Amino acid sequence: MIKILLILSLGALLLISPFIGTLSISPSEIFDSTTLSYKIFFEIRLPRTLLAFFAGITLALSGLLFQNIFRNILMTPYTLGISSGAVLGAGIAIKLGIVSMSFGLAIVSGFGFIGALLTVILLLWLSRYLARQAHTSLLLLGIALSFFYTSVLMLLFYVSDAHETQMIIRFTMGSLSTIGYLSVVIVSVSALLLFALSYAKRYELQLLSVNEESAQLKGVDTKKLIPLLLLTSSLSVGALVSITGPIGFVGLVVPHIVRIIYKQSVHKLIIPTAIFGGLFMVFMDVLARSIVEGVDIPISIVTAFIGGPFFIYLILSKRN
Amino acid sequence: MLSVKDLSVTYESKSVLENFSFESKGHLSILGANGSGKSTLAKALCALIGFKGEIGLNGKNILDLDLLERAKMIAYIPASLENFDPYVSLKEFVLMGRYLYKKPYLNYAQEDYKKVDEVLNRLGIFELSDHLLSALSSGQKQLCLIASALVQESEIIIFDEPTANLDPTHSVEISKIIRSLQNEHQTVLITHDLNFAKSIQGEVLFIKADGYRYYNNPDDFFTIENLEACYKTSFELRSLGMRYD
Repeated sequence: MIKILLILSLGALLLISPFIGTLSISPSEIFDSTTLSYKIFFEIRLPRTLLAFFAGITLALSGLLFQNIFRNILMTPYTLGISSGAVLGAGIAIKLGIVSMSFGLAIVSGFGFIGALLTVILLLWLSRYLARQAHTSLLLLGIALSFFYTSVLMLLFYVSDAHETQMIIRFTMGSLSTIGYLSVVIVSVSALLLFALSYAKRYELQLLSVNEESAQLKGVDTKKLIPLLLLTSSLSVGALVSITGPIGFVGLVVPHIVRIIYKQSVHKLIIPTAIFGGLFMVFMDVLARSIVEGVDIPISIVTAFIGGPFFIYLILSKRN
Repeated sequence: MLSVKDLSVTYESKSVLENFSFESKGHLSILGANGSGKSTLAKALCALIGFKGEIGLNGKNILDLDLLERAKMIAYIPASLENFDPYVSLKEFVLMGRYLYKKPYLNYAQEDYKKVDEVLNRLGIFELSDHLLSALSSGQKQLCLIASALVQESEIIIFDEPTANLDPTHSVEISKIIRSLQNEHQTVLITHDLNFAKSIQGEVLFIKADGYRYYNNPDDFFTIENLEACYKTSFELRSLGMRYD
């Protein structure tokens, strides 16, 4: 019952979201293509809501996959440094002055994507030198990489002028603002691919949550499956982060909340995690746009500001 | 039929097992001191770890089989059950043993559920079907692991110290169950419990620090002189109270 209410109320938000903003839009005006409302609705608000929805799916699902594959709730693309890799890539592109070139923003995104991709490859390569199943060491490697990236980013700040610094900082705060549908198409396609793969491999994921050896003994080819799952989710996160900037906490918190609400094994959590991830993100975006009138607060500030205390509450309340 | 030829395993550039060769047609007990490499041998037998030499399951080289074919041939039951997923029920866990029969991408079939119910009934844990794994006792967890291997319907089952974490009552219960499975499955038993191993009546492999001894006939192993030579401690022949037969 609670589940249905939650989904319905969040779902209603999905419908209302495009109407919320500095300029209020009445539903009757959006069908008249000559009005400003029509333009704002279809070119700014609707793509933004869709982008938020698919971004949430990508982040929540990749969090669920990483947590299950490594059997550690702290494992997400964000904590492993993959998002930081994307930020650094984009930062380097900004510093090189690529933004002012034609297709500048697309190239900056491309650099972000390459940053994420290189990080995944680096992690997969480094993990071959770790003792078998030493997942804590992998987490430490990810954290060390994040620190390293941050220091390089600091160096970039140090040698950049005020304008470049401002742009890089803006990128690191994450933003869902978009015009038109190109980024929506990219993010939605990668989100749906990730969803299809996770759902197709739901029982394999359940076996992996026991442990890798046990999955192999029951017949799962983990040596092929794990890299496939990790690469797919990292790449969809890379594609996302290169467009929106890093968005923390969603990948960590949403799978956790869904697990607590549904109390089901992982194979039954794929669909709820995707739905809740998407709706959670739309909700966060509505908050980002409406907490302070006329101000669009960067999305990662909102997710961490709300997600952080909520996560602490969850951990403490679970103990009782 | 399990046949091992010149098997060597190195772990972190240290040799754990060197040139093991043995055969088992019936029920093999693997004994030896802590850290002698019993579990390593078990993992090698399932090709979970890299090894040199040859392992044959019913005349087929294990490395020529894909993972599904291996699962059909050999099942491994670890000493304890661990699981990250907090909301897996006993039934869902056991059902995972049917993975090799499941069609890719689809759910488990009716037949798989039937097999699971049958095995749970047989082991007397059907009533626990919907219990979460975290709510089970050590003995129930061991039964759950056995059930998950049984639904796999493999020809050979490896038990890795199945009674190590159990009190005497549950040890006896588990060992009785294992012996009742011997008519349908070939078994490999790793244990420290000499009485249990003796009740199995099969070949014995004793792993020493510097090699191994293989006994085709268990009576050759279970003599005082031999046990004292193997374990380098004195033995006395008498009933220890707990009976496995």
